[in-house]
Amino acid sequence: MAELGRAALLVTLGLAVYALVAGAAAAYLGRRRLALSAQNALTAASFSTLVASGVLLAALVRSDFSFSYVARTTSEALPLQYKISAFWGGQEGSLLFWLAILTACGALAVRLNRAWARDLIVWAVPVFAAVAVFFSFLVVVVASPFATQAAPLDGAGMTPSLQNPYMLAHPIFLYLGYVGLTVPFAFALGSLLSGRVDERWLVATRRWTLFAWAALGIGQLLGSHWAYVEVGWGGYFAWDPVENAALMPWLAATAFLHSVMIQEKRGMLRVWNILLVLLAFALALFGTFLTRSGILNSIHSFTQSSIGPWFLAFIALTVAVSLTLLFRRLPQLRSPTRLESPVSREAAFLYNNLLLLALCLTILWGVVYPILSEAVRGEAVVLGRAYYDFFLRIFGLPLLLLMGIGPLIAWRRASLQSLLTTFRWPTLVALVSGVVLLTLGAGSSIPGLIAYTFAAFVLTTIVLEFARGTRARMALGAGSWSGAFFSLLTRNRRRYGGYVVHASIVILAVGIAGSSAFDSVAEARLTRGDSMSIGDYTLVYQSLDERVASNATEIRATLGVSRGDRDLGTLEAGKNAYTVEAQLSNEVGIRSDLLTGEDLFVIAEQVDPDGTVYFRVFVKPLVNLIWIAGFVFVLGSLIALWPNAREQRRLIQRSSEIGLPATR
Amino acid sequence: MARQASPARLVIALSVAGLLAIFLLYTSIAGDANPSIAPSDLRNRTEKVQLAGVVLGPIRGDAHAAGLRFVLRDMGGDRRTGVPVRYSGSVPDLFKVGRQIVVVGRLRQGVFVAEPGSMITKCPSKYAPKQSGDPA
Repeated sequence: MAELGRAALLVTLGLAVYALVAGAAAAYLGRRRLALSAQNALTAASFSTLVASGVLLAALVRSDFSFSYVARTTSEALPLQYKISAFWGGQEGSLLFWLAILTACGALAVRLNRAWARDLIVWAVPVFAAVAVFFSFLVVVVASPFATQAAPLDGAGMTPSLQNPYMLAHPIFLYLGYVGLTVPFAFALGSLLSGRVDERWLVATRRWTLFAWAALGIGQLLGSHWAYVEVGWGGYFAWDPVENAALMPWLAATAFLHSVMIQEKRGMLRVWNILLVLLAFALALFGTFLTRSGILNSIHSFTQSSIGPWFLAFIALTVAVSLTLLFRRLPQLRSPTRLESPVSREAAFLYNNLLLLALCLTILWGVVYPILSEAVRGEAVVLGRAYYDFFLRIFGLPLLLLMGIGPLIAWRRASLQSLLTTFRWPTLVALVSGVVLLTLGAGSSIPGLIAYTFAAFVLTTIVLEFARGTRARMALGAGSWSGAFFSLLTRNRRRYGGYVVHASIVILAVGIAGSSAFDSVAEARLTRGDSMSIGDYTLVYQSLDERVASNATEIRATLGVSRGDRDLGTLEAGKNAYTVEAQLSNEVGIRSDLLTGEDLFVIAEQVDPDGTVYFRVFVKPLVNLIWIAGFVFVLGSLIALWPNAREQRRLIQRSSEIGLPATR
Repeated sequence: MARQASPARLVIALSVAGLLAIFLLYTSIAGDANPSIAPSDLRNRTEKVQLAGVVLGPIRGDAHAAGLRFVLRDMGGDRRTGVPVRYSGSVPDLFKVGRQIVVVGRLRQGVFVAEPGSMITKCPSKYAPKQSGDPA
């Protein structure tokens, strides 16, 4: 079976090389049939990769330990779903997984767009092929998932913390996001290579970018929730290099999604957009490099391996080639329009872009700082949490405010008068809620108070927008209120889906501000019968139990919880001792207040033989809003992503007319 | 269109200036940058550093009382590279002899006193087989 897998990957490599060479030649010489053949080779490569993936999956499911990969990542007793998740868990498998998504996405994107953007497609194919060549080269030569060995009796098994339902979904979404970013990149390069530097590559890839971006966002939220519930240190994000590796391309893609609208509407920011898409793709590659090279001290340390230098070389090559092309096409990329006023929608989007990019680059700076300082000063210097938190506030809070301003301000040039009418109510609501919160004691954290006030501002603008749109549709005769609302949503999905996503980001910001700026913590060593209090909660340590489960000994302390005079029942916190793996894991107790979104979070830090327990207890206000934001985010992304033939036609139509400075 | 200096340039210039100002502000108030060094590089340095190494047993004491006491040696180094460490606060699940950890603190009279709660353990390589050859 391993031979079949190896052969399939060799075929993929061959097809990818062919698609690259033939595709480039066809595009250069203008040979139509050769170009078609290259496209077919790309499609065929996706099928051969699928075969290879099937072989690996079958081996994992059957626990065929003659595959070194299977023996290293799973064991006989591992539940089926984790045998499957081992496919993307280990290094070789994850590279194969990447290649499979890449070739599938590439073939699909090419097929969907070849009717109306043929001149772009002929050049996008060799770009896809080049990326596929790199990854198939890795899985064929450097890190083959099909290496074999004399089968041991059992495999090495999987780290307990990965035997978790989150690991079934979290990596898939992250990979879909990383790989999905290849599509806009390939089309952007295709437009540079072909010299057709109009807006069509944006129209062709709009939904792909949105999809990749949404997947990356969902993947990160899943990861945070996993960290919060399972890892149990009381937080959900630690600015670890690997977490940053997913955040950076997401921020770059967010900037891109916004600046694209400026290019579609006004033909501006052409060079900027290509730079952003290049940055997002390079950061996606860099993320993979970070997780796999072991160059940085991270809480997550994956198998360290030799693929690091290959990745660095490929990133350098990608950036060099793209920048050279961009430079050569600069004269053609000159924008036909220019920014007319620093108070306009274009300008607001530009500020949004600069802030997002600044945040992205400061994170990047923080991530590579240890490497740079080691190279320059001979000693690695690590930037701590305070560095990242500081810049999150500096760049994130203005971004939050702009989210309310950007979508409402007029194109081209906004007058002071129109600003006053548009933002009168949101400003009023924000000020009132600011004052109310201040009297309620939110002044203990100024950044938190600012975040809340800005959030009120943005939410008001969003609600007003929906109300205004619904009223307009009702005036057009849409009948009932709800009918008008839905017709509003379906008529302009991108716009209103965007508002829903904005609402989710506001909810997220409120959750983050609440749980990080206004949280409280208490710790105490308790013997049975003792109690401790935090905020208005009182916890009484009642009993300690030891249970023996199939794979672990579970030690649990039971706490009686009350708030004021009200009894809230009991909460368990403790530790699991995994016998086979000789590992301990914290099992935290969380009590969520569904009404206020507040969590009481209990960690049994240390259990002594005499039964005393050292507890660490957090009260995290509003933390549940973060997870609710996730659902709203998915909803908004779906609305914006939902296929809409009419809108796509309109965009195609507009993209052929753009370039005229005339207003429409 | 009337010829005038593009506001775009002004905007970009202003934002660059803003960025620089913020960087200056940051370095002056929020400096949270620590050198990351191996135990054998510590010698007589007494400024705040991040120490990365491998835990050497035995582990004594109580993290929530007087503090845990253990020795941290270089990754890939032997016992002679070890430095005594005192630590209190949260102890990550994965902390044990032979594990790679990172702590932040400073050297005081020959003992590295870590800041409470600063310990981070590195996961054992996620899916890698059990490391049998790692000397503790």
